[in-house]
Amino acid sequence: MKIDFLTRSALAVALISGGAALAQDGPVAGDVAEGSLEGETLTFVSYGGIYQDGQTASLQPFVEKSGVELYSDGPTSLAKLQAQVEAGNVMWDVVDTGDFLPYVHCGTLFQKLDFSKIDTSNIPEGQVGECSVPAMNYGVLLVYNADKYGDNPPTGWADFFDTEKFPGTRAMPGYAEPNGYIVEVALLNAGVTKEDMFPTDVDLALDQYRAIRDNLILWQTGAESQQIIEAGEADMVIAWSGRALAAVKNGANYEPVWNDWVVVMDQLTIPVGVKNPDAAHALINAAIGKQAQETLTEQTSYSPIHMGAEPQVDELTAKWLTNSPERIAQGYLQNVPYWVENYEALSEKWAEFIAGY
Amino acid sequence: MSNSNTKPDGAARLGWAGVRRHPLLLVLPALVLLILIMAVPLITIIARSFIDPVPGLGNYSWFFSHKLNLIVLWRTFVISFWVTISCVLVAYPYAFAMSVAGPRLRLILVLCVLVPFWVSGVVRTLAWVIILQDTGVINQFVIWLGFDKLSLIRTQLGVTIGMTQVLLPFMVMPLFAVMRGIDLRLIEAAKSLGSHPVKAFFQVYLPLSLPGVFAGATIVFILALGFYITPLLLGGPSSTMLSTLVQQQVMSLLNWGRGGAMGVILLVATFGFLALASPFMRRKYDISGGSK
Repeated sequence: MKIDFLTRSALAVALISGGAALAQDGPVAGDVAEGSLEGETLTFVSYGGIYQDGQTASLQPFVEKSGVELYSDGPTSLAKLQAQVEAGNVMWDVVDTGDFLPYVHCGTLFQKLDFSKIDTSNIPEGQVGECSVPAMNYGVLLVYNADKYGDNPPTGWADFFDTEKFPGTRAMPGYAEPNGYIVEVALLNAGVTKEDMFPTDVDLALDQYRAIRDNLILWQTGAESQQIIEAGEADMVIAWSGRALAAVKNGANYEPVWNDWVVVMDQLTIPVGVKNPDAAHALINAAIGKQAQETLTEQTSYSPIHMGAEPQVDELTAKWLTNSPERIAQGYLQNVPYWVENYEALSEKWAEFIAGY
Repeated sequence: MSNSNTKPDGAARLGWAGVRRHPLLLVLPALVLLILIMAVPLITIIARSFIDPVPGLGNYSWFFSHKLNLIVLWRTFVISFWVTISCVLVAYPYAFAMSVAGPRLRLILVLCVLVPFWVSGVVRTLAWVIILQDTGVINQFVIWLGFDKLSLIRTQLGVTIGMTQVLLPFMVMPLFAVMRGIDLRLIEAAKSLGSHPVKAFFQVYLPLSLPGVFAGATIVFILALGFYITPLLLGGPSSTMLSTLVQQQVMSLLNWGRGGAMGVILLVATFGFLALASPFMRRKYDISGGSK
């Protein structure tokens, strides 16, 4: 009986280690082992609204198969996360963030990811960070009032600054987190070439916006930008593709300018000090799977980051998706490493600009 | 009850007789709760403003060396001042109407003040967005009349209008409480002695109602100093208030120390303002109060 017990134990050890070796050979994005997270709980944090609803829906097959109990919380707040990390009591297991934050706080608030547990092979190049994988893609682009500029529409960022040729009110992001692309597109307008842009002259860039201040509205939230488009408060708006699409679906006659649209994304991260990092990695691996990304796009109109995804969307939504080869060719990639390095300096100048100086 | 008096142990001191001798013990649980949820976070914020990220006065020298911070601090007081003035101007006649109305009309007037109070501030502010925006209700009417559109939203005027509406109940209620106690026959008496009604109002009624004005104005002014969501949604770059800068520092940039320093500066400035205002207010109370 004793021998029997030992044999069985040895067999079990062999099986477990074999299984682990198999898992290390390569996870497949979107897949999870049957019942592997039975009895575990995970808290997923995002920005709420239809976006988080879509994310939750896209994770449903993962929840059913793995047996994990999934909770949702939000909205994402860096300050709340920092408080949890400092207190040593992290309750958020996977956090959806804006695109710069995981780079700025990599290793301090967000842990370095173990890419033996996440299959990133289907994500477009250059989007995976040390502490993050993209949750989805979208664009920051210029949209214009087609009723106003119908015959002679704006075609690029320069037209945003040209109030003589294109009279009318403008709107742009004015929330506290600074964005590098705001500086970059303004510098292009000031005649600085992409090659000579760095290190940047932030003042010169912001002066481009100050010059059109009388015609400029700063929006604070995505909802506000959508409202500005729907109400026709501004004729040219620097907006997120998803929000602009939502406004167009609600009847606003606005058109996108795809020339040099800025590629942006939300990120999936795991905070430092989570109780079950393996389960958190499993959730991220599931969220970037083909089917999950298709569901997310179908429900939210954000573009999938799985290159093989084929979401079923209506014609209008398809027009605003950013993942076609043509769109990817037109996209403009901001210099993320540079802005991460210079985040503090940019923040100070940006704070003065959005406060009216 | 008398039993506990004879018990020699510690429980006796906290028994009924003890409570009767020291009635302040009754507020002890509330006090402990208050210390836990008010004082501890406040002390933490103050402490962090001096030690985060490094010990010293760095956060304060940062605040005073950046012109933007000083401009926004000053603007916060200016906007709060105008909000207080407009609250007084709107609430005074309203509270007067409440104090002289019959029971049914008074109920309707009270409801008109309190019902918006039950609606979330964000919702009310968004309603103001729809009313004030360039393509909004007011401007559609103005343009229909043939005038140029008014700049209402994203201006200090828009912020003042929105904040006035949100803060109005804090002005109306103290005013109403004072006005209800004023004997209207005093005005009749003044008139019967030959006073012009306008003069009777300014010399008799107004001084009697001033305690309500000052109580309401103090509450409104202090609440206005800390406003966040209304200036954010109705304002623009020219109407950023200090709380927005605090939010930027803490929530976006994780500079808890700088955010804390801003909070402390606003708190000290508010105390300073109250210290300046309080002798003035006490004098007014003496005129109306009578009982010394």
